[in-house]
Amino acid sequence: MGFSTEQLQRVQPVWDRILSHRFLQQTRDGVIPQETFANWMRQDYLFVEAAIPFIAALMPRAPLEHRQALGGSLPVLEKELELFKERAKKVGVDLEDVEPSFVNHAYVQFLLASAYTKSYAGAFTVLYVAEKAYYDSWMVVRAGIDHESIWFPFVENWTSDAFRGWVDFLQTSLDELADGVGAGERREMATLFELTARYELAFWEMAATGSGWPGLDEEVA
Amino acid sequence: MAFTDELRAAAEPIWDAQLEHPFVRGIGDGSLEENRFANWVLQDYRYLKEFARVFAWAAAKAERLESMMWYATVLDLTLNTEMDLHRQYAARFGLSPDDLEAAPMWPTTRAYTDFLVRTAADGDMADLVAALLPCAWGYVHVAKHLAEVGGPEDQRYADWIAQYASEEFAQAADWLKGEMNRLAEGTTADKRDRLKNTFLLSSRYEWAFWEMCWHGEAWPV
Repeated sequence: MGFSTEQLQRVQPVWDRILSHRFLQQTRDGVIPQETFANWMRQDYLFVEAAIPFIAALMPRAPLEHRQALGGSLPVLEKELELFKERAKKVGVDLEDVEPSFVNHAYVQFLLASAYTKSYAGAFTVLYVAEKAYYDSWMVVRAGIDHESIWFPFVENWTSDAFRGWVDFLQTSLDELADGVGAGERREMATLFELTARYELAFWEMAATGSGWPGLDEEVA
Repeated sequence: MAFTDELRAAAEPIWDAQLEHPFVRGIGDGSLEENRFANWVLQDYRYLKEFARVFAWAAAKAERLESMMWYATVLDLTLNTEMDLHRQYAARFGLSPDDLEAAPMWPTTRAYTDFLVRTAADGDMADLVAALLPCAWGYVHVAKHLAEVGGPEDQRYADWIAQYASEEFAQAADWLKGEMNRLAEGTTADKRDRLKNTFLLSSRYEWAFWEMCWHGEAWPV
């Protein structure tokens, strides 16, 4: 069994909660309030912006056979930002001057700190889990959403053949990386795997509740 | 007006909120329950490890020998003196070195330290100092305030206040403030805005750290 499959089984309770999250179910069923989805849009736009330096920071250490795919993912992320802007304009969501929520900020710092301080295999684990979680999550939505929904372009983006191919590449590569490291590094990768999954769950929860920065927003924002 | 005065003014509501936080007030009047303070002892130990890492980045990035020596000294003091003092202090709350090592890093500690390490890694010296300052300066500020309003009967809390209100910590904070002002000199307004934003974020994390220790924290799953 590959490392990715083994770890997905280990974190299955978290993964199940991600995939059964009410944000995804309500989006799938067409009953999500527009403001709730707009909150996700604003925060995820910032997250995608941060994903670009995260992947770029992996590049100097990436083995040759990963570089093309990692490099190719950067313009794809730029296109994702365009998708956000296009949808935002269409549905009247303002993406300007958005502050990251606590969860979003924490998750982004985790990504970048992993890129700078963990091994390549460790940081690559974080990338895989984040992308895999998105693919699986949006597949849940795709299973029931009306294709005429104003949110469908997002669903299409993360359930496309191209995105599935990217996730497959990450999965195969992660398994190869895990096969080539010692037990200690493998344990570190497992810890990062679980933490990333927890952040993914926390991100949906943040999107659903619209939580900002706990405690301070109301008083001193 | 010194740049650090501008930073302090911008963060005023957050710093005031710290002084009003029940955890901080509880140290000041000695009413803080031991189990809540134990949260701080455990999480701050985890924090210090990462804080030391940030000083290592600072020593590596400092452009002046004087700065390099200062960061290297603080790094040495943190790793070889302060952490040992922390272990001795923890014993007064019944916490062994094993307890300190085994304590899981709670989400807010992780988010804050990831933010510091990431900023240290991908920012310049000014960014790094702006991120560090709310901790180094803020603890002196909090402790001096508590020392002014009266001392708790519990000697353990009185010692805590005395340590962070000490001349040694105050001098360290003053040195860092001077470094911040020097680094900010001649920078663009945009850069100073970004530094201010970093300073505010770390200030918010400082408040969130008290909040975490007051309530206890865990990952949602």
